[in-house]
Amino acid sequence: MIGVSLSRWTISYFAAALAALMAAETMMAVGYGFPAAPIAAPATLILVHVVAIGWLSLLMCGALLQFLPVLVAQPLYSNALALPALASLVAGLAALVLAFLQLDGRVVPSTPFFAVAAILLIAGFALILWSLARTMAAAPAMPLPAQFVVVGLAGVIFTVALGATFALVLGGTVDYEPLVLLTAAGLPIHIVAGLGGWLTFTAMGVSYRLLAMFMLAPELEGATTRGALFLGAAALGMAIAAGILAVLLGGNPSLALLAALAMGVLALALYGADVLRLYRARKRRNIELNSRMAAYALVSLAASVALTLLLLAMGRLSDHAAAVVFLTAFGWLSGLGLAQLYKIVAFLTWLECYGPVLGKGPTPRVQDLVVESRAGKWFLLYFIAVWAGAAMHLAGFPLAFRLAAAVLLVATVGIVAQLVRARRLVDVKEAVRFPQGVQRPRFLLSCQP
Amino acid sequence: MASSFVELDVRPILRAGGEPFEAIMGAVSRLGPGQGLRLLATFKPVPLFSVLGAKGFGHEARELADGDWEVVFRPEEGMAEPSAALAETAAADASDWPAPAQHMDNRDLDPPEPMVRILAATEALKKGEVLSALLCREPIFLIPELAKRGHAWRGAFEGDGKTYRILVRIGAAGKAAA
Repeated sequence: MIGVSLSRWTISYFAAALAALMAAETMMAVGYGFPAAPIAAPATLILVHVVAIGWLSLLMCGALLQFLPVLVAQPLYSNALALPALASLVAGLAALVLAFLQLDGRVVPSTPFFAVAAILLIAGFALILWSLARTMAAAPAMPLPAQFVVVGLAGVIFTVALGATFALVLGGTVDYEPLVLLTAAGLPIHIVAGLGGWLTFTAMGVSYRLLAMFMLAPELEGATTRGALFLGAAALGMAIAAGILAVLLGGNPSLALLAALAMGVLALALYGADVLRLYRARKRRNIELNSRMAAYALVSLAASVALTLLLLAMGRLSDHAAAVVFLTAFGWLSGLGLAQLYKIVAFLTWLECYGPVLGKGPTPRVQDLVVESRAGKWFLLYFIAVWAGAAMHLAGFPLAFRLAAAVLLVATVGIVAQLVRARRLVDVKEAVRFPQGVQRPRFLLSCQP
Repeated sequence: MASSFVELDVRPILRAGGEPFEAIMGAVSRLGPGQGLRLLATFKPVPLFSVLGAKGFGHEARELADGDWEVVFRPEEGMAEPSAALAETAAADASDWPAPAQHMDNRDLDPPEPMVRILAATEALKKGEVLSALLCREPIFLIPELAKRGHAWRGAFEGDGKTYRILVRIGAAGKAAA
């Protein structure tokens, strides 16, 4: 164990991610994309990818650059790859948006934006994967949370590969028959690999460690955790491998996805039992806002699963898939992400700012960088807006959904304002804010002398 | 094969509620070439097997009539040198360090309070003195800070696998590299 330093560009990833989140919420509030536009319309595709790549993937990449080293007790392989990766991902997303606009006829099709997007996004994710894989390869051991991350990274490989295939086919760069088949019927696999594999699996792995760490609960390494890992990995393998095979053989992937769903639900049930155990076994009675809000996110995950099963039983899943995706993306993944960002931004800023002078004189505590009572109200508003939005989606009230999205945007702006205040140390009492030898950290990048 | 054994009975320490890890590691570090260690304990010290295994010792454990355990650690052929991984983990060999001048139990503190208190304690100690602290996990963010301040450290999980003990020697980072 040689310790872990601050990841230099993680805060930049977070800033770009939050900008994308607010952009996506603005789109929903003004009625851009589903439900105002058809579910397969270019506008919906733009909205979905701003959320999935711009917000959730950048958030996850930024978090992994800092916390995968913590999971495996090994310094990050390279800080230098993070910035080119970020630039590549942001440029790739921009190209993808332009490509969807070409599909819509709003941008002249002279530049092959689909091909450009595919290349840039592959490059960006490849740089991140390389850095994380080298970090793990050098680690002395791979604890269970890190193994979840490995499965999540396998998920992103397939998501990006399928996405790039779609882009090249839709952009007219490729007309190889099997790839055309995949583009026609492979969308559910792309969604499952991205939302279920990459984002949910990685979030599960990181949450095991962060929840235990922040609540002073024992690390879980037992049969239920291993069960969640193996069943979840099997579910993903089934959805991806059998799903792709079914499509290539000219069938449809529903049966494979249904089998994967059965295993995935079991895996999530085990994960749920584990998380309950973490909350119950915690030594810290009064948990902080991030852990309290993570509970709402976990409830949203449970609600997403219950809703999926209910709709499936009623034979209405395909009608309301958008509501399930919305609840998963904004209640579970975004809710958990924002809750943990609230702690992580304050902690990283505190460590960067006061780490060098700790013990040499009075320094503020991490808690002094935040005002939980103020932030708590924005978080509450956020979750109420998400749940109301999902309900309006289900009930088929597009206008009410837009209203919920507007409230969601307001709540997010409120939360982001708290993050900015923490980063700028605004809430630290002025008398103790800058002890001798301490400087205000730069806003977007972390430096350690 | 080992030609001789040093005997270490840690049962009195354990019965007194103490922690024998330092005594054991100290004894191991004083072993001559080819020498082994005969350890007497009140329980089967399973975690030691891997710790000393990494230092190149094989073991044979035997339960005694009264429920105590005798474990014989003997250096294995071609494994006399500690592995590179262990050398990295133990950033400094603590065998010739003085007894800790201060003990802290930071296991029940909310993070990052354990780190704050350790750094505060290191500021109060004199050069060459040793601080011993118990934690409930590896102090991942503390290590770079100790290194920057020129302190040497060594740390490992205790026998229970849950308590992490770190020893910090003030201003001794230069020696650690030697």
